[in-house]
Amino acid sequence: MERVSRRGFITSAGVGAIGAAALGGAEAETAAATVRAAGEPAPITLRVNGRARALSVLPRTTLLEALHEHLGLAGTKPGCERGECGACTVLVDGQTRYACQMLALEAEGHEVTTIEGLARGEQLSDVQKAFVAEDAMQCGYCTPGQVMAVEGLLRHEKDPSLDEIREGVSGNLCRCGAYAHIFKAAQRAAAARRNGGK
Amino acid sequence: MLPSFAYVRPTSLDEALEHVAEGRGLVHAGGTDLLGCLREGVLAPATVVSLSAIAALRGIEETPEGLSIGALTPLSEVAASPLVRERYTALAEAAAQVASPQLRNQGTLGGNVCQKPRCWYYRGDFACLRKGGEVCYAHAGENELHAVAGGGPCYIVHPSDTAPALVALGGVARVAGPAGSRTVPLDQFFVLPEKDLKRETVLAPGEILTRLLLPKPAAGLRSTYRKVRARASFDFALVGAAFALQVQGDRIARARVVFSGIAPVPWPAPAVEGALAGRRLDHDTIARAAEAAVANLEPLEKNGYKVPLLRGLVQERLEALAKT
Amino acid sequence: MTDTRPWTETKVVGTAQPRIDAHERVSGSAVYARDLVLPDMLHAAFARCPHAHARVKKVDVSRALAMPGVRAILTADSPGAKLPFYFTPKGPLSWLFDPHCRHEGEEVAAVAAETIHEARAAAKAIAVEYEELPFVVDFEKALDPGAPALHEGGNRAGEPEKHERGDVAKGFAEAEAVVEMTFRTPCEIHTPMETHGSVVKWEGDRLIIHDTNQGVFDLRSAYAQYFQLPLGNVRVTSQYMGGGFGSKLEPGKYTLAAALLSRQTGRPVKCFLSREETFLCVGNRPPNLLKLKIGAKRDGTLTALQLVGVGTGGAYPEGSDAGYLASDLYLCPNVKIEETNVYINAGKARAFRAPGFPQGAWALEQAMDALALKLGLDPVALRLRNVPKVSQRRGGIPYFSTGLAQCLQDGAKAFGWEEARQRPRGSGPVVRGVGVAAGMWGWDGDPRGTAIVRYVADGSASLTTGASDIGTGTKTWMAMIVAEELGVPVESIHVDNADTDTTPYAVLSGGSQTVHVNSPAVRAAALDVKQQLLEMAAEQLKTDVASLELKDGVIADRSAPDKKVALKDLKPLQEQQTIVGVGRRRPHPKGKVGLPFVAHFAEVEVDTRTGEVRVLRLLGAHDSGRVMNRLTYQNQVFGGMTMGIGFAMTEDRVLDRNTGKMANANWHDYKIPTAKDVPPDFACLPVDLRDTEWNSTGTKGIGEPATIPTAPAIANAVFHATGIRVTETPINPTQMARLLAARKAGR
Repeated sequence: MERVSRRGFITSAGVGAIGAAALGGAEAETAAATVRAAGEPAPITLRVNGRARALSVLPRTTLLEALHEHLGLAGTKPGCERGECGACTVLVDGQTRYACQMLALEAEGHEVTTIEGLARGEQLSDVQKAFVAEDAMQCGYCTPGQVMAVEGLLRHEKDPSLDEIREGVSGNLCRCGAYAHIFKAAQRAAAARRNGGK
Repeated sequence: MLPSFAYVRPTSLDEALEHVAEGRGLVHAGGTDLLGCLREGVLAPATVVSLSAIAALRGIEETPEGLSIGALTPLSEVAASPLVRERYTALAEAAAQVASPQLRNQGTLGGNVCQKPRCWYYRGDFACLRKGGEVCYAHAGENELHAVAGGGPCYIVHPSDTAPALVALGGVARVAGPAGSRTVPLDQFFVLPEKDLKRETVLAPGEILTRLLLPKPAAGLRSTYRKVRARASFDFALVGAAFALQVQGDRIARARVVFSGIAPVPWPAPAVEGALAGRRLDHDTIARAAEAAVANLEPLEKNGYKVPLLRGLVQERLEALAKT
Repeated sequence: MTDTRPWTETKVVGTAQPRIDAHERVSGSAVYARDLVLPDMLHAAFARCPHAHARVKKVDVSRALAMPGVRAILTADSPGAKLPFYFTPKGPLSWLFDPHCRHEGEEVAAVAAETIHEARAAAKAIAVEYEELPFVVDFEKALDPGAPALHEGGNRAGEPEKHERGDVAKGFAEAEAVVEMTFRTPCEIHTPMETHGSVVKWEGDRLIIHDTNQGVFDLRSAYAQYFQLPLGNVRVTSQYMGGGFGSKLEPGKYTLAAALLSRQTGRPVKCFLSREETFLCVGNRPPNLLKLKIGAKRDGTLTALQLVGVGTGGAYPEGSDAGYLASDLYLCPNVKIEETNVYINAGKARAFRAPGFPQGAWALEQAMDALALKLGLDPVALRLRNVPKVSQRRGGIPYFSTGLAQCLQDGAKAFGWEEARQRPRGSGPVVRGVGVAAGMWGWDGDPRGTAIVRYVADGSASLTTGASDIGTGTKTWMAMIVAEELGVPVESIHVDNADTDTTPYAVLSGGSQTVHVNSPAVRAAALDVKQQLLEMAAEQLKTDVASLELKDGVIADRSAPDKKVALKDLKPLQEQQTIVGVGRRRPHPKGKVGLPFVAHFAEVEVDTRTGEVRVLRLLGAHDSGRVMNRLTYQNQVFGGMTMGIGFAMTEDRVLDRNTGKMANANWHDYKIPTAKDVPPDFACLPVDLRDTEWNSTGTKGIGEPATIPTAPAIANAVFHATGIRVTETPINPTQMARLLAARKAGR
């Protein structure tokens, strides 16, 4: 079923409709967006692991910095801070992203899930348990990111093939080379989730 | 580490246009290219203008003319769209091969089309020609990843996968600016270094790419895009090829062929199109098309491999198309 | 001492045991030094030389000092900053902020500030005047007349490494087939997931270093010397660390700078490198140019092996030799190896997973493959013809056990080698092939170290070891040993490690020595506890300790089974709550040596239109002695193979010829394998020869053997598939397109 954006359709139908003149009415009622000055920390609220967290950030503060430094959620790891390794993978509205490539301000209004949000107290999630059982880690530094990548995959794909699993973690480097076991953990977790366990 | 900048997230395109007027601010779509450019000093805006709250810039819609894709549509959405996969296969395939899953969730179609070059001198600690320096370090340097066509005085290759697919499919860019909206066919959207070193697209300061428009697919349209790369994930193209073939009966009525990874802009290949038009997609046609693809390439010292590689990719893609 | 006889059947050791700290790693609760935040902590960043070769003429910190958040800046002139670095027998060649910068990225100054952003911004604002010097970054040109010299005396780094036995001229004269080939290997950068760095603070005259390293004791010793402190005044910890692969064995300038800044400011200082910095200044695998000539009789018996090589350890002294494998893996009476090491203006090399061996294997194992072809012999059969029972390199002392032959035979069988070799390569543009390569690891480790086991009256235990767990699962197999000897469930065993204040000395985790050096000490400590428990029971049961045995939590008299006591009922245990056992590693037995052996088998698919190579499957047959933990052993094998894929197919440092600067100092352009670059099919075949003499656990190392032969196995498979011999890494579409085109054109 094709996803059609209703609002987009209404405003862009026709030729050349988008332009300075076209948007009257509704837009005129919206207040102008606040400019966040470069050097001034400004308060924001981020929804992280189901809770509202208040913090103060600069425009250049990345979501990774907000999580790792400001909120003390050190499970989301800095690996390269360039979007090239996946160690900082989180879910934003259920989709995997690199926290280092997202400005904290951009995360306002979205649901952020970090590795700390998967376990229930001491009870590990099904993906985490699968990683333990299959020894899908070595030094462990890329592991939270890998777990988040698999979690993100399983939220969109109930019965992923091996190829889909490989694709799903293809944005997560593991220098120790635990990929083979990570694939097994993903398969194990997918089966567990399909069979109703969580 | 990111430099300092102000940030605003307007909720309307009008407001966004005000903030980017005269180039004071630069747009943030997905941010996956912008943040790298900021970090490396390639871009240094006073204000980053986020477009992420402007819903009108997102979404894939059928229109009477064909398809309209918002510039802020994430690449993963483009890749997964049944409409795009079925009717504009090359674009879905291209979007699916960009970078990594996380970057496809965050990166947008517009951002992928407008991204800055990935030359390692441009992005690295080198005062290169494109950044206002005196020398193109690639020309007499480590140029294995640089242009074999259209190059000079700068030898970048265009890094986008979706751009060649869009060009091959007859895509058109809708652009908003202070003077209103205009459309630019994508095969005229990109700028060669010999024309202007400082920009890759025809976007003037203060303009925003808002939508990518695709014409209704002609009957019998078959399209594909694939890139060859060093690793099977993350990497940009060593060479890439987009084909849009209009098949009638057992012959190719019309072909559009556009390459990535070989030139500073998505590189149209009229010689290949000529070798395909009116022909059956058989062994001889494929061989001739592959030769035509590499007929006028001008390798530098270290990128001569792109010649046989491109020839091989053209052969491989056409053989794959012939099987479907 | 209780029963130190070799284990025969084991209940816990050898099973598939999830890591005892897996919960911490998968939950994100494990704290790495990179995560550590101390109260009042400052952040430090370096100003670095951007030139390949330069002299610092002037450093102006005035603007930087005035910037927000800056608390201290160190330069070459700062008191105490002239700390020596890069040592030779004649003394240090350089120091912390040496104004003679011999490679891009050498440290010029360091800033401590309230935030990392402020520190980096201030570091950028330090104005440095350089005199740029001519440079050389191509190691094949470093000895050319007129090549810019990095050190006095030119660019020869020490005397050539030589090894000679027999008479190669005679050997080649006797040969009925000779192959002579030239090989090139990449400069690889370790890039562990956690970058290098430390969090440092002073407590009075005690220096506390929370670090990411592979050996807390070696580094404590180094830092104690640096700051002229008694050993006990320096504490180094590294409990969770995000990988090293050999790059985290040496002192870091980041630690030294953090210590100086911390002392100056009176506050803890965190200094961690950015990912980009780690490409420049914390080590690499030397690139090598290796010319190999092998001679053999018609039946495949080797008669002569000659290796002439050049390599570079970078701008400072570090060995680059790769000849060990050629001198010891195969039986050959006539061997001549000569390797030259040169300086170039690039970062100094550091030990990188089996230093020299992947390079040596790349050359040797492809040359053997070419020799097999020339002789019309199967590649496995050729190798089996030349299996030594002794270490020729060590003057002919015998091995306690050598599984080289069995690795080849069992591996070939499990892989379906014979059938795969006969299979047609493929009639279309996509072809398949299989290849084999063998290897060994040549170091037998330093047999030193102590382990402490505490048995607790509630039936649990704790273990204290100085060993780092660098991702190999060290803590878990150690717990398994305690579980094996004392019957404590693994889940009830707590392990503390890698803290010079609280854990006993252990050797560094490197050189594949951790298991075979430490496991006997851990076993001895557990047995020490067991002995004490048996003695308590003997006293309590009024019987002879020699007739007692511990089983399932009960000590019973073998000859009078009614005489028994449950551990929890031992009175002294109840009174003392804990029993402490200490185990010390004893020296290696003399007269023989124990080394690990390996054979890797690879199947690849090559698209001859584009040169794209896909690895379809890999099988590793390893003689690494006893498998301690089936899960982590296998993970090491697959991890080593993954690194071998990087060596063979994706990794290489690129230095710009015109500026000497690194062109690919990031994780996109310097390419390590992703999940889609490894095969979907991995197999691990342990070959355990039940060695009972080498040490009390029957173990050898696995970490390095796991990566030594993978790359040539892949190259040999590519040859089998295509007939193209790839002698220079990387095997990627760039090179394959060239080679395929050249073959088509008849070149």
